[in-house]
Amino acid sequence: MAGVVKGPGAFAITPHKVSLCILVHTYASPSQISVPFPFSSVSQHNRLGLYLLALTKSCDDILEPKLDQLINQLREIGGLLDDWLTDHITSRLSSLSSPDDLFNFFNELRETLGGPDSGVMDDDQVILDPSSNLGVFLRRCILAFNLLTFEGICHLLTNIGIYCKEAISSSSYEHRLDDSGNDLESLSEYENMDLNLVFKKINEEMEARKKATEQVSFHLHLPKDLSTLVEDVEVFADSKPEHNEKGRESSSYASGDLLRDVDPDGGVFLRTNWQIQGYLMEQADTIEKHDSSFTFNAFELTLRQLQKLAPEFHRVHFLRYLNNLYHDEYFSALENLHRYFDYSAGTEGFDFVPPAGCKDFGRFEIALLCLGMMQFHFGHPKKALEVLTEAVLVSQQHCNDTCLAYTLAAICNLLSEIGFSTTSGILGSPFSPMTNVGTSLSVQQQLFVLLKGSLKRAESLKLKQLIAANNLAMAKFGLTHVQRPLLSFGPKTSMKLRTCPIIVCKELRSGYHLISDFCCEGSTMTTDGAFSTAWLKNLQKPMGSLVMSQDNGSRNNSNPFLFFTQPSSIPGSVLQLVGSSYLHRATAWEMYGSAPLARVNALVYATCFADASSSSDAAVVHVKLIQHLAAFKGYKEAFAALKIAEEKFLCASKSRILILKLQLLHERALHRGHLKLAQQVCDELGVLASSVTSVDLELKTEASLRHARTLLAAKQFSQAAAVAHSLFCMCYKFNLQVESAAVLLLLAEIHMKSGNAVVGLPYALASLSYCQSFNLDLLRASATLTLAELWLSLGSNHTKNALTLLHGAFPMILGHGGLELCARAYITEAKCYLSDPSFSVSDNPELVLDPLRQAADELQALEYHELMAEAFYLMAIVYGKLGKLQQREEAASSFKNHIIALDHPHDVDDPILS
Amino acid sequence: MSSKESCRNELRTAIRQLSDRCLYSASKWAAEQLVGIEQDPAKFTPSNTRFQRGSSSIRRRFCTNESTSTPPTGVAYVSTPVMEEDEAIHGDFYLLAKSYFDCREYRRAAHVLRDQTGKKSVFLRCYALYLAGEKRKEEEMIELEGPLGKSDAVNRELVSLERELSTLCKNNMIDPFGLYLYGLVLKEKGNENLARKILVGSVNSYPWNWSAWSELISLCTSVDILNSLNLSNHWMKEFFLASVYQELRMHNESLSKYENLQGTFTFSNNIQAQIAKAQYSLREFDQVEVIFEDLLRNDPYRVEDMDTYSNVLYTKEYFSALSYLAHRVIMTDKYRPESCCIIGNYYSLKGQHEKSVMYFRRALKLNKKYLSAWTLMGHEYVEMKNTPAAVDAYRRAVDINPRDYRAWYGLGQAYEMIGMPHYALHYFRKSVFFQPIDSRLWIAMAQCYESEQLHMLEEAIKCYKRAANCNDTEAIALHRLAELHRELGHPEEAAFYYKKDLERMEAEEREGPNTVEALTFLATHYKTQKRFEEAEVYCTRLLDYTGPERETAKSLLRGMRIAQSGFPSMDVEHFHP
Repeated sequence: MAGVVKGPGAFAITPHKVSLCILVHTYASPSQISVPFPFSSVSQHNRLGLYLLALTKSCDDILEPKLDQLINQLREIGGLLDDWLTDHITSRLSSLSSPDDLFNFFNELRETLGGPDSGVMDDDQVILDPSSNLGVFLRRCILAFNLLTFEGICHLLTNIGIYCKEAISSSSYEHRLDDSGNDLESLSEYENMDLNLVFKKINEEMEARKKATEQVSFHLHLPKDLSTLVEDVEVFADSKPEHNEKGRESSSYASGDLLRDVDPDGGVFLRTNWQIQGYLMEQADTIEKHDSSFTFNAFELTLRQLQKLAPEFHRVHFLRYLNNLYHDEYFSALENLHRYFDYSAGTEGFDFVPPAGCKDFGRFEIALLCLGMMQFHFGHPKKALEVLTEAVLVSQQHCNDTCLAYTLAAICNLLSEIGFSTTSGILGSPFSPMTNVGTSLSVQQQLFVLLKGSLKRAESLKLKQLIAANNLAMAKFGLTHVQRPLLSFGPKTSMKLRTCPIIVCKELRSGYHLISDFCCEGSTMTTDGAFSTAWLKNLQKPMGSLVMSQDNGSRNNSNPFLFFTQPSSIPGSVLQLVGSSYLHRATAWEMYGSAPLARVNALVYATCFADASSSSDAAVVHVKLIQHLAAFKGYKEAFAALKIAEEKFLCASKSRILILKLQLLHERALHRGHLKLAQQVCDELGVLASSVTSVDLELKTEASLRHARTLLAAKQFSQAAAVAHSLFCMCYKFNLQVESAAVLLLLAEIHMKSGNAVVGLPYALASLSYCQSFNLDLLRASATLTLAELWLSLGSNHTKNALTLLHGAFPMILGHGGLELCARAYITEAKCYLSDPSFSVSDNPELVLDPLRQAADELQALEYHELMAEAFYLMAIVYGKLGKLQQREEAASSFKNHIIALDHPHDVDDPILS
Repeated sequence: MSSKESCRNELRTAIRQLSDRCLYSASKWAAEQLVGIEQDPAKFTPSNTRFQRGSSSIRRRFCTNESTSTPPTGVAYVSTPVMEEDEAIHGDFYLLAKSYFDCREYRRAAHVLRDQTGKKSVFLRCYALYLAGEKRKEEEMIELEGPLGKSDAVNRELVSLERELSTLCKNNMIDPFGLYLYGLVLKEKGNENLARKILVGSVNSYPWNWSAWSELISLCTSVDILNSLNLSNHWMKEFFLASVYQELRMHNESLSKYENLQGTFTFSNNIQAQIAKAQYSLREFDQVEVIFEDLLRNDPYRVEDMDTYSNVLYTKEYFSALSYLAHRVIMTDKYRPESCCIIGNYYSLKGQHEKSVMYFRRALKLNKKYLSAWTLMGHEYVEMKNTPAAVDAYRRAVDINPRDYRAWYGLGQAYEMIGMPHYALHYFRKSVFFQPIDSRLWIAMAQCYESEQLHMLEEAIKCYKRAANCNDTEAIALHRLAELHRELGHPEEAAFYYKKDLERMEAEEREGPNTVEALTFLATHYKTQKRFEEAEVYCTRLLDYTGPERETAKSLLRGMRIAQSGFPSMDVEHFHP
């Protein structure tokens, strides 16, 4: 009924629970010996107990297992006892033929439970502690039974009948197929069976026959009814083959659910509320981890079934929303989000600490927060901001500080991701209490103030995870923005305009505290459930059975795989946060120019946090590592790694992996001189970005930067300069200062290549100053290199100057620069020496030859024909001057080869492109 | 249309056949139509005219189209031969089964007919089984109420019935009644396409079974589906179309169909009630009230459709009439959802919202899918300021029928109430999507845009424009449009809308602060535009009112005279004492 959600404690007795009760009764039968009949050893006894415990807690599905599933699992568990246990269950169940039998059965169960003073009992006697897990389970079952009306008991009886019948029919069918002698059976006998099983069996049977007779004799061997049945099933199994391929672990649900939907009156029973909650939580995690590779339809089907069985279980709508969200279904995501909050009023299923003294009002501000984040996810920043603003207002009205803190964090995230060009009026009046400096500040300043406020709020509310997230956001802000005083007057105006790496590191480090003192947001339940689920799943693996059948009673050995699946006690969300701090570190070091540190951090993330990471984070780290490979090891290895990554992440549109692929292709095409392809790839990259202004800025910058590069390689200097110029304008508009540095450097290069070194100089210097203030050391080294090149091209009297600059930058370049940068530095160094009139080759040939050889070696991996040709050309000249004719010819022919390769880029076949 | 006499004969036979097969509601419907046919004056007998008294006055008032009794030319109706009864060899068993059936002992009835192979017997057996399953389902629904709500109990007979009926259907051993049952079973099982096909087959061969038609109606959820149906042209199809149009919210089309039908079935209560419902949807409350009054005179114990009547009485705030109606229905049948709904309405009108909610809840207990009760309960919760409960109730209504614009509107209102205008907009958008001709919805949306938080006045103007275009009875839109334009500094547009508003108020002979405001603005506006003649007209009109505006008008007039007579312009205030 409206507005009323029944407590989660409700517990219904089902046939499955009855069989569990039978097992518990067996496990703890009131006997006087320590190892009761039929168990032969303590370990055997314990194993059953463990199994029962896991069964009551696992949350791998929404439905309770059927009897045959239970029997199969018992087979793994029971070892020698298998037959006895199976027989015991089935006979006990089938002996329940009247309501009175049920009454007696539950009365008997009561004996199993010890009294409240069971502690003083004899040690040898097995008695279930009423407050132990199994004891509580048993008590709940008894209570639920006692609460049943007579009609309810009748239903239970019928259901037990169905439950047994299903198991018997499927097992008897197995037996029948084993002696596959008689083929002609009428349809009616197949009716009650699991269609899937029939289908599978028939396929197996047919294949076996095919092998035996070497010809398909379909009509001879199968009764007609059966074949049509198979066809029917086939149609409907075919409807989703592609999902099953990608479905990985969830594919098993797909087929199972389809069949259950068809099942006309099979006993379908939901697990306990607690287990379903756990299941849904796990699924939510899985969706995040696998996003697009998570099968949409299979899960949707499960959810629909759940909704049908439990219409008052509103969490389903939220899961539906998540499912739609990660599969980019905007409208149904929107619809389900609204539906969820309409039904639950935001009070169901959230792990927030409930704000004190809050009230029958509903917590619709959470709905707004979610809606805002959804709009942001789908790339509608303006709408998102509107919604989040409303969320701020409503949270303030309802004094929901927690929600307010989260909303502020979301807004910060939004502001830092999305470019805003206007300086004011973005954050309206509701923020004035928070920004309280008025709205005359720039977006960046507002963001900073908001970040500070959000952090403070999170700290005062002791929301540890939010604090960590805010710390990360602060670090990110510190990485890309210079510290600027908020007021432009006063004693602090003379502050140095630089980013502060120390602050960034401090912020990143503070996130680590989380791992030691995270707050337990009711996480024990999920870890417990997940653990039980994993335990049960392991039963199916051969290792499990192997261990289980080992019956030597040694306690240490009894459950070794506990070790493998031992769940970490740290909740996934905490791990995710800590992991992303490593990711941030890697990015920071990338920008500050320490390649090894960036790589190490990325590797740490990939190895330690891969399990907990969301798919997008995992993709990011893969991208980083592959980019690193490409820069330091060449394309061959990078593409090999990319292949692996592509398999791991489904190549959905706009995924980072796809972008990376295009980037690599573009770079290689540029190096090989395949300009048409380069342009094509570049265009594709541009298309991936959203057409909405201020969204996907990173991608847009990237695309037009590459466009300018391509034009530069095609020697269309004025156009390249124009593109670069407009790009710089955009970067300036949206305050992308780090990108500005790169664009300025590119402009300098363009002018240098076009022969206008004098025009290029100011650009290079400007870039240099940007790099300095943002501590972009590697980019700074590269700018210094360009500057040296510019000096060099101004004439031979500037060579000294160039050489000094170059040598200054050498440590950075050789220590952290990629192959291309190093090679360029080497070549420039050689050119400097060669153009120096005071330098004579014959005196010190190695001074020139050595760097050239190094350069040639490094360029080999990049297939950078243009630079290679240059290196070999210089080499040939040097050898010519030295009079080493043979070496000169060799160098000359290499030069020729590269020039030819540059002119005919199409000769190289390309496996990646296909 | 076929002649009245042939309709009458067809219906008479059909009623016998239908009640012989225990299809009681269909036979009830047919009988109602039968007595609704206007009697031949030659055969007037007092007993025949008993049903036809007192209805002439209303007909004279509202039956505008007197010529409808002549059949529309060019439409040839198929005359379906009345079915021949198969001879009941085992008639005695059938009689026993029917008696059991009438005593609602369905399984017993089915058991008696277990070996009978006649089509009629097979039908009755299957039908009895179906009903037995339904009965059990209803019971189970209450028994199986789980911790997370009611799980959908299923009719356990459906599988076997479907199997049997499909075999019969394949072998062509099935009569139209069997087809109807087959269609029903298919629909329950969710196989809607086949269900439609089968039901079309049933009504084409036996058109007088209204139950089959109404199943078909529930399966026609869009105009496209309706057009794809291959229905033969029997006069019963007109009833079907009229009803389908109503479901599809094509109220005008539905109304014209019903008025057409009234030509033949002049005294049919059913048609009258349907017309009333259509008029209600078109918000012609006066007519609805008259029709229902008339209907109650003829059929005082009617409960069907009376909830619509109560809604009208509620809207018109007729306390005593509503209480009288509530009293009447509760004496007739207390446990009908309609009765509970009427009482709920009464309490709501009295402002006793808790009691009202209780009765709506009872209505919903009787029929979980009673759409208007969910919506009305939502309204009650809104009154009680229990927003989460209101939202929940509205959402249930919407999930039952996503086209229910009232519930969408309610959701929007509820969210607006708790200060979430942006969130509310989503729902208002939905509501105007399904009912774009209701000015109230547009106005609500516009007010949302106008709210302090959003302050999106351009959007608000767009909404008000839509509202003004669809017959805004409360005349909010024009006034607000004018004001908004004035605020935004668009004097031309503001003047335009003030003028329109003024014209409208004149036409409706209304006066009030809005008139004064409009006149003042127009006068000042025309004065600044130097269109003194118009300005003078408005000023003069303003002089008829008391208050400060009168003084303003005076000073304006003075100022204009000065300007016109060529005096140097002076501050008019100086002349003011």
